Amino acid sequence: METILEATNEIFIGVEAKKGYNSAILNILDDFVIEKERLQQLQRASLNLLDDMYEERIGLERTQRAIMNILEDIEAEQQRAKRSQQLLEAANKELEAFCYSVSHDLQAPLRAINGFAQVVVEDYASKIDPEGQRYLRLIQENSQLMGKLIQDLLGFSRLGRQQLSSTEIDMEKMAKEVFDDLKLHMLDRTIQFQIDPLPWAFGDPAMIHQVFVNLLSNALKFTAIRDVAMIEIGFRQEGDEGFYFVKDNGAGFDMRYVDKLFGVFQRLHTTEEFEGNGIGLALVKRIVTRHGGRIWAEGAVDKGACFYFVLPKEMR
Amino acid sequence: MENQTLEDQSLENRTIEILLVEDNASDIELALRAFKKNNIYNKVHIVKDGAAALDYLCRTGPYAALQGYPQPKLILLDLKLPKIHGLEVLRKIKSDERIKIIPVVILTTSKEEQDLIESYKLGVNSYIVKPIEFDNFIKVMSELGLYWLLLNKLPYK
Repeated sequence: METILEATNEIFIGVEAKKGYNSAILNILDDFVIEKERLQQLQRASLNLLDDMYEERIGLERTQRAIMNILEDIEAEQQRAKRSQQLLEAANKELEAFCYSVSHDLQAPLRAINGFAQVVVEDYASKIDPEGQRYLRLIQENSQLMGKLIQDLLGFSRLGRQQLSSTEIDMEKMAKEVFDDLKLHMLDRTIQFQIDPLPWAFGDPAMIHQVFVNLLSNALKFTAIRDVAMIEIGFRQEGDEGFYFVKDNGAGFDMRYVDKLFGVFQRLHTTEEFEGNGIGLALVKRIVTRHGGRIWAEGAVDKGACFYFVLPKEMR
Repeated sequence: MENQTLEDQSLENRTIEILLVEDNASDIELALRAFKKNNIYNKVHIVKDGAAALDYLCRTGPYAALQGYPQPKLILLDLKLPKIHGLEVLRKIKSDERIKIIPVVILTTSKEEQDLIESYKLGVNSYIVKPIEFDNFIKVMSELGLYWLLLNKLPYK
């Protein structure tokens, strides 16, 4: 009995122990399940990450392709720009050759016309009556006029192609020098000249000099009808913009035709009233706009005119 | 016509003081008229293209017989010339030891900036633009003659 009990007990203990083992095994299994799930989660997360990375890569590739396309576009654009540049240079060369030819070949016959008319005047004066001699003079005058027109037109065309230099210019000094120079040719006239302090400007000195020459020549020309000519050069600042002006009390002009004022060969007066060929202001406008500035005018018939222009303040 | 009378006289018997390189017949006639007024008419020889100018100065081609004869005191050179352009003629003159000391005056219609610069770079002695007005043309030619033939001193006879 004792033995049976012991045996039973032992079995019992064994069973208990087994139970303990079993539960331990179950625990471990549980742990395994949890671990597996964690691993699966991790795997899923990794897969998601890979997915994300894949998408990211596709996105990058797309961006890269887009950039390549843009680069190709830029290159194509550069090629086009280069071609345009070459065409422009060729056109410029052609224009230069044309001007060169005009300058030589168009003026030579004029010299002949003028010269041989003079030869007739000198050698055959006794055989030609005064009216005939007047016609000869007209031939000469007109051939000279045409020569001047050709020169001015060539100058105008050259201006568009010429390189601009850029230095600081003492505008006040330059304006004064130009005026003094021009006045030398009209000492018999009474001119009240006023020049305000002018700020310096940046530009091509030779060209800006030409601007003053043309504007002041105009002012002097159109005030010739006054007993006292009044010419003023000044500077005005309005907001960000400062502009120089040249003002006179001359013949002025009708504001309705202000658009024509700066056109090539456009004139608002007959040559009998005031001489000129209508290129002076066109030249001035071209110079000012090539400097990146602008020019405009105000006036009224018989009330004088005022020309304003803006020049860049800084070196380009 | 006037041109022919000049060519009638043989070159060997004339003292040539001015070589006029000019292709325009009207310009030649007007220039000769100006020279006539200044009594240098028979001291001028005219060639009508750049190649002839170089032949004359180098005594080659049709001018081989002039070997040893004195060179002109002045070359009046137009720019737009047949065969060889005036600037090229100038370059050849100024790079030839035998003739580089002869004064060269460009006498042309245009005052194109690039021509002016190039001429002076090549060593031109003066650059004159022919005036359209005939009186001025005569004046310029007479002053040219006076200055280069009378006032100016050259290192050779």
